[in-house]
Amino acid sequence: MKIKRKRYDGVDISCFVCLTIFALLIIVPFWNAVVISLETYSAYIRNPMAWVPGEFTWDNFEYLLKQSNGLIVAYANTIKVAVIGTLSGMLISIMAAYAFSQEFPGKKPLFYLMLLTMFFGGGLIPTYLLVKNLGLIDKHAAIILLSLTSTYNIIVMKNGFESIPRDLPEAAMIDGANELTIFARIMIPLQKPMIATFSLFTIVGYWNSWYWPMLVLNDSRKTVLQIFLRSLIASASQNVSMESAAMEEFQTYTLGIQMAAVIAVILPIMMVYPFLQKYFVKGVLVGGVKM
Amino acid sequence: MDNRKRKLGIRMWRARYIYLLLLPYVVWLLIFHYGPMYGLLMAFKKYSARLGVWRSPWIGFANFKRIFITPGSVTAIKNTFLISFGRILFQFPFPIMLAIMITEMRGTKLKRVYQTIFTFPHFLSWVVVGAILTSFLSSNGGINTMLANMGMDKINFLSDSRNFLILLFASANWKGMGWSAIIYMAAIAGIDPTLYDAAKVDGASRLQQIRHITLACIRATIAIVLILDVGHIMSAGFDQIFNMRNPVVSNSVQILDTYVYDITFLATPDYGFSTAVGLFKAVINFAVLLLANKIVHIISGERMIG
Repeated sequence: MKIKRKRYDGVDISCFVCLTIFALLIIVPFWNAVVISLETYSAYIRNPMAWVPGEFTWDNFEYLLKQSNGLIVAYANTIKVAVIGTLSGMLISIMAAYAFSQEFPGKKPLFYLMLLTMFFGGGLIPTYLLVKNLGLIDKHAAIILLSLTSTYNIIVMKNGFESIPRDLPEAAMIDGANELTIFARIMIPLQKPMIATFSLFTIVGYWNSWYWPMLVLNDSRKTVLQIFLRSLIASASQNVSMESAAMEEFQTYTLGIQMAAVIAVILPIMMVYPFLQKYFVKGVLVGGVKM
Repeated sequence: MDNRKRKLGIRMWRARYIYLLLLPYVVWLLIFHYGPMYGLLMAFKKYSARLGVWRSPWIGFANFKRIFITPGSVTAIKNTFLISFGRILFQFPFPIMLAIMITEMRGTKLKRVYQTIFTFPHFLSWVVVGAILTSFLSSNGGINTMLANMGMDKINFLSDSRNFLILLFASANWKGMGWSAIIYMAAIAGIDPTLYDAAKVDGASRLQQIRHITLACIRATIAIVLILDVGHIMSAGFDQIFNMRNPVVSNSVQILDTYVYDITFLATPDYGFSTAVGLFKAVINFAVLLLANKIVHIISGERMIG
């Protein structure tokens, strides 16, 4: 028996062509950055659009590691902020989300207290002055505390806890477990997938944060990756406009070095993203349910 | 009455562990979200660092009046509206189209690879994306070399204000379109497949099916995303503009958020005025969100809030 195959029609072909073009549009600038980071500056000048490095070299990465010690410091600081921030942020939001999934006196006003911050806040200047008054300038604690958790995360996790059947904790209660044991031994293990998803989002959020670090961290020993990258690029482009006088300085931050820094900053995300993509997608879908 | 009070006391005592779990979050919320709200008083004062927020003299709405007579902030307001409007026109429809194309495409494996590629840029910061795209689009960069090799004129992407505006929309799509498409793809996946079967029997072409079934069924999702987008009308994309602008174009893409940054951190700061601009922005955003919610509700019966 012949298996009937549907022929490809116009819709199939145009979808395939459009999506392939879009995929190429995303990949090509990335690939270009990778190539630039792996070739000498003179090779880049000869052909800025090479598909493989013109003159292969590790020099740009070596420079970042040896000459400018900023990269290593920034890496260590970023890992510190991301790990501490994610652990403490997840802890605080899991606890709050579980609490909001239970009934207790005063739940409604506290919930509205949280909900309001979703639509309204103090804004940039008052928050900056608060950080200053708390003595958190040049402290990593400022970066960690400012983006510890969000109303959105808590609401979605609260819904997750609410979806657990009631008889499970009740049975444990009869066996003599108290509220905290139930929370730690039953509720958290049941929500592991969701906790993993939100942890991923939080850690990427800390990894990519640059705005508050830019405002708060002036000390170069406290710098984080995004700020390191920003200052490297900013100083290079400034030197271009200063022209000849600073030309020598400009040479030290060639585009090769800049792109090497870009690759160094995004490397961890690039390595894990293809494997974790489905968890990220799950995270956005779980939030799609109405509040 | 006394009895009632005692009962409340008992209920609260029973929930003591719940309060314990909630405590760290509430303390954090009060300090880092409600603390700054107290600072909003600055918007109504002639703030001096020496006197502090509370003791600085009240000046009513003077700071707000200044927003409308200072040339810098007037330009920023205009640009903010212009860019936000452009984003709704040139960014909002693309994730919908992308979602439809991905679901219509055949080949599960290729689909998965493409989706990984499309969603990846969302997880990079604008610092990174700005660096990559600026190098790629510069006058001596990759794309202009390619154009020159093909015998075409170079395009000035970065230092021509009209081109830069187009670049803003295009690069935002480049970064976020794949991620934004996910929500629509989920909505499409939830459509009852018998609808398509029935349409096929009736002889509907694939394009007709897309129009009359797919688009019709994800109307609610489209409405909600549109409401949320319109609710950000006064935030025209600070992260992107801040990381991609250059001195030649910075005036034409000066939005409220970049304006507040510039006057606060690059000049002698007037915290009272800066706070007023921020508060003005937040209030308009919130009002527009409610309005959009109302209008969409009247037109299509969908709503997000209330």
